[in-house]
Amino acid sequence: MVVFSEFESKEISLRVLGSGQFFQKETFGPETVNRGAVLMECEWHGGVFESGIMMGGIFRGGQFRDGSFWGGVFWEGEWLGGVWECGFDRNGRYHPRTDHPPFA
Amino acid sequence: MITGPHRYADLARIWHRIVHTELVPAFRSLGWKVRVVIFRDANQDRFAQSDFPQTSFQDPGPGARDFVEFYDAALQTDCDFIFFLDADVFVLNGTWAASFTRHFDNPDVAALSYLRRGKLPGVFALLCRAKYFRALPDRAMMASYEDLQKWPDSLNRGPGERAALMLEKAGKRILDFNDEAPQRISDFHGTTVIRVSRETFAGVIGEEAFETLIANKRYFAMGAYDNVLLGWLYRAVFEGPFAPDADGGELGGSLTAEALRRVLARIERPELRAALSEYFARSDRSAERLARYLGVRAPRPVLTPDCWRAANAS
Repeated sequence: MVVFSEFESKEISLRVLGSGQFFQKETFGPETVNRGAVLMECEWHGGVFESGIMMGGIFRGGQFRDGSFWGGVFWEGEWLGGVWECGFDRNGRYHPRTDHPPFA
Repeated sequence: MITGPHRYADLARIWHRIVHTELVPAFRSLGWKVRVVIFRDANQDRFAQSDFPQTSFQDPGPGARDFVEFYDAALQTDCDFIFFLDADVFVLNGTWAASFTRHFDNPDVAALSYLRRGKLPGVFALLCRAKYFRALPDRAMMASYEDLQKWPDSLNRGPGERAALMLEKAGKRILDFNDEAPQRISDFHGTTVIRVSRETFAGVIGEEAFETLIANKRYFAMGAYDNVLLGWLYRAVFEGPFAPDADGGELGGSLTAEALRRVLARIERPELRAALSEYFARSDRSAERLARYLGVRAPRPVLTPDCWRAANAS
């Protein structure tokens, strides 16, 4: 993956999380793609969530394309698909099953 | 109305049994009309009406899409009082609970809280004067986060906690009888969370990782422990497996007693052992109280591994 910014360009190696993997209280950057891992109480910073489960934690940016979102905070990002089981928006407001935040 | 959200029919059957033998007659003796409603948050097809006589079901739908949203929706029901009772909370003395309704003669009293797990009352065993709660802003019962900019040091408020604060601000009171609860209430913790986790992702991460999670996460260990105790009671009363897996295996939908002993034996951190030992002793007392109530004579399972007992003895 190549990321360009105003000040520099650098190549970042893609990090792929796969089915069967489990992470707790970890932080993932924009180079991360989730393809099936379970993330508990983790921070997601800009990567692509293709499948897997986010249990608790905070989604700070990136794309949520598929997978399940359970009980965490959706601070910012694109909600493109998946199962919104429950969670909170950036104002701390609860969103029940199916009701993903409008800015997501 | 006595109501609570449920996800698992087996746990709900114990809840239903106690509600109908204790709370319903106690409140009816006050001259109240009483009805019982179970909110089936999931697994609706597992709740057979024949197992829940004199009880109606409510399922997720608009306005009550899940159990957190359910509390606000329930407040719109046409009734004077609503008793919210958590799925793993069992009030074993209805006369005691009903005796405090005299406090509603005081117009400042908005609710009676029989059980508290944090600083604020929550909805674990809360008898509400419905019109006071209905007068609160929309979504007052909803869970919420505060100070999210301070993440991860944000404040997570559970269902009912914001309502308690708003009522206090409006000069209304929620009377707290939590100090008397240990003699009259059996309650268990985390029993649903671990089952949800089992069905949601245990199969994805594998059994070893799931057991490691339980060994490291106090709330999960508490839920696993309490489910074994509830399984002991359920089998004795209803003659079936509690929290079964897809094949019907006892506790396979949580953690079997054998697996739990194995998990506990792996825990070496003294502070975690100490915290869990204290909690397990509380759970044992809670389960024995419930067993006496239900007339269960089978011996309570012993789950703490020998190495813990040896360490405590020395």
